[in-house]
Amino acid sequence: MDHWRDLIAGTGMEKLAAAAELPYRAWSEQFPGGRPFAYFCSYWPEELTMAFGWEPVRIFPPAKAGTPARLPTYCCSVARGCLEQGERGDLPFRETGFVHTCDTMQCLSQIWRYAVTDVTVSFVPPVTLNAPGALRYCAAELERIGRQLERLSGRAFHPDDLRRAIALNNRVRGLVQRLEELRPHLPAALVARLERTAQVVPRSLYAKALEEILPVLPKRAGEEAENRRGKNRLRRVLISGAVLENEEIPGLLAELGVGVAADDTCTGYRHFAGLVEETGDLFEALAARILQRPPCPCRHQGLAARRDYLLELARSRGAEAVILILRKYCDPHAWDAVSLAQGLRAAGLPVYVLELEGASPGGQEKTRLQAFLECL
Amino acid sequence: MSKTKKSYLPLKTTSHLRRTMNKHYLLARYHRWWGRPLKRPLAWVTSGAPVELLRVFNIFTVYPENYGAVCGTARVAQELCQEAENRGYSQDLCSYARSNLGVVYAPKGAPAGGLPAPDLLVACNNICGTVLKWYEELARHYRVPLFVIDTPFVTEAGEPPEHAVRYVLEQFREMTAGLEKLTGRQFQPGALEKTLALSQEAVGLWREIRNLCRTRPSPLNIPDMFLHLAPIVVMRGTEEAVGYYRRLLSEVQERVRRGQAAVAGEKHRLLWDNIAIWYRLFGFFKMFSERGACFVVDTYAGGWTVEILPGDPLESLARTYTGIFLNQGIDYRAQDIVKLIKEFGVDGFVMHSNRSCKPYSLVQEEIRRRVMAAAGVPGLLIEADMADPRAYAEEQVRTRVQAFLEALPA
Repeated sequence: MDHWRDLIAGTGMEKLAAAAELPYRAWSEQFPGGRPFAYFCSYWPEELTMAFGWEPVRIFPPAKAGTPARLPTYCCSVARGCLEQGERGDLPFRETGFVHTCDTMQCLSQIWRYAVTDVTVSFVPPVTLNAPGALRYCAAELERIGRQLERLSGRAFHPDDLRRAIALNNRVRGLVQRLEELRPHLPAALVARLERTAQVVPRSLYAKALEEILPVLPKRAGEEAENRRGKNRLRRVLISGAVLENEEIPGLLAELGVGVAADDTCTGYRHFAGLVEETGDLFEALAARILQRPPCPCRHQGLAARRDYLLELARSRGAEAVILILRKYCDPHAWDAVSLAQGLRAAGLPVYVLELEGASPGGQEKTRLQAFLECL
Repeated sequence: MSKTKKSYLPLKTTSHLRRTMNKHYLLARYHRWWGRPLKRPLAWVTSGAPVELLRVFNIFTVYPENYGAVCGTARVAQELCQEAENRGYSQDLCSYARSNLGVVYAPKGAPAGGLPAPDLLVACNNICGTVLKWYEELARHYRVPLFVIDTPFVTEAGEPPEHAVRYVLEQFREMTAGLEKLTGRQFQPGALEKTLALSQEAVGLWREIRNLCRTRPSPLNIPDMFLHLAPIVVMRGTEEAVGYYRRLLSEVQERVRRGQAAVAGEKHRLLWDNIAIWYRLFGFFKMFSERGACFVVDTYAGGWTVEILPGDPLESLARTYTGIFLNQGIDYRAQDIVKLIKEFGVDGFVMHSNRSCKPYSLVQEEIRRRVMAAAGVPGLLIEADMADPRAYAEEQVRTRVQAFLEALPA
């Protein structure tokens, strides 16, 4: 199942991709000299953190479900797992950035100050992305957290530092776009791991390593890609959901003979979509990207934005069906699942809603998924 | 069988409450007959939305959350929730929202025959993110305009930051223009000032009633506050609400003058945190009142005691509605509870960990720890749901309540 590792063996990316599954305690040892800054959501402005000399490290929940006393059981496993990691001291990061995404993250950011570290920065982007004044508000909010980061870092803000950080992130986004173009020829689990890796390792190392392997990946994957031509062509689905902290779902799909045409999870391509303007008012440029990102259930962009986006994505990538991955107790995705599934089905796309406690499907989920895929 | 002594004194105004709310729901039910001729569109509104702005345009408002509480109290919420669940909505979603969708899909058997279809929807996310998703569903179903007011969460305790106030203000202005178009009425700043004054007066009366519970013994127990909360939620900004709370204030003042206790032989004074358990409203609180424990104050009904700040009416609305307690963090809420404990002479507090309300509930354990440390009184956390009884384990709750009450100093 993990044969995708062979495709990056011996490259600079091998070590980086391995770092994405090591405990966070190993981060400083892996990247000596790097100053980590923990963050949670893909709306976190990584560039701003980097402008003050930090390396943004996205926090994912551990494989084992957590049961921290500070959170009730009817809370998603992302919040519970991360809080337990933090309470145990397994997150050796002093500074942590939160984004107001859902009610649960809003609550977690509050608890974190007392349970894990009191050095937290909370970013509250607009919820209604097309509201009047949303761009101005978002830019002002970014400036506010910029001032907070400036105080925390003890390093004066300089626009050139931010411009450099934006350029580096744009470079990563551009490379991931190229990786997405190679997606039909690559194992989905590899693409998922490479995209997740970008969120936890120093971006400059990542960009260099991805640049190195991109030209050779199709060749390395050549035999596999060749096997998928003609009637052996893999059936392909679009997956959409929140955080995927491991690659088990794409791995399981591969096992069932299905490829991933597009990954609209918030750890997948949605994290990288869109570039930031590198000229003009940089805070406004960062805000503009936030407002133009692919639809997320935690934001409001009208009633059909996410359905239309996913339909277009499915069509452009040749997906035959959509799998909506729903984490137990994740309200925004649970709300969207009903009308989204109806809308996509009405447009002729079969939809399966896969509800999971975490990101690891069990035997029952596998059987159900298999039945759905056989019906395609 | 011997007749047990009543431990709880009901309010006379409760019969007036029934008449007032029946009238409201009757007006809503027959809106289709009078609304159009009088050019008064009907809006479904979230409880934290700036209703004063809608009143200026003569819009008739209905509160699905209040109706959810009615369904909970009438013990029909479970069946309604199941109607929504049968259509794919997760049982883990808010029970007000699920029961409301149940009413939308299958109104038969719902209190007051269900809710009339809205002409417009107004959702303000200052209370939770759920209302936005819920109202999106309603807008898809009814195909009517949806006005969303995005009030950024206040991360540092206190006043919302200026850029957030400006952002909310801009949305109010856009909404005002939208309402002008929809109703054909011009926005009149004078009318808004008048509505705000009425709102302010009702809120002031409600605050005064609440503050009378500082008296020993307390003239009210928290189920009274929960019941009599309905007019401030659904009629805020009207003469009727002012008249209603004048009447209630007068009865409560009379109780204070006479030294009448809501709970006979008041021994313990408690604070309640979160929405009521509507389907067990009296049964639940009886576990306390029969042991001489009276809930003299709560955080939920207190949400409607906030004064609208002075200044430009629209800006004041923006500031007030962005800064409400559910849009604030742990520090603000813990400080508020500690303050209430001191002011109302509270001996202990009970928190309802409400599966339906994540922003209220997920931080409660941390708040409980902080309040216990700061105020030196014990706090109990019990898990249930505001409207869906499937999440309520009576025996487990009873055991925890008994242990808590036994641990309170005599």
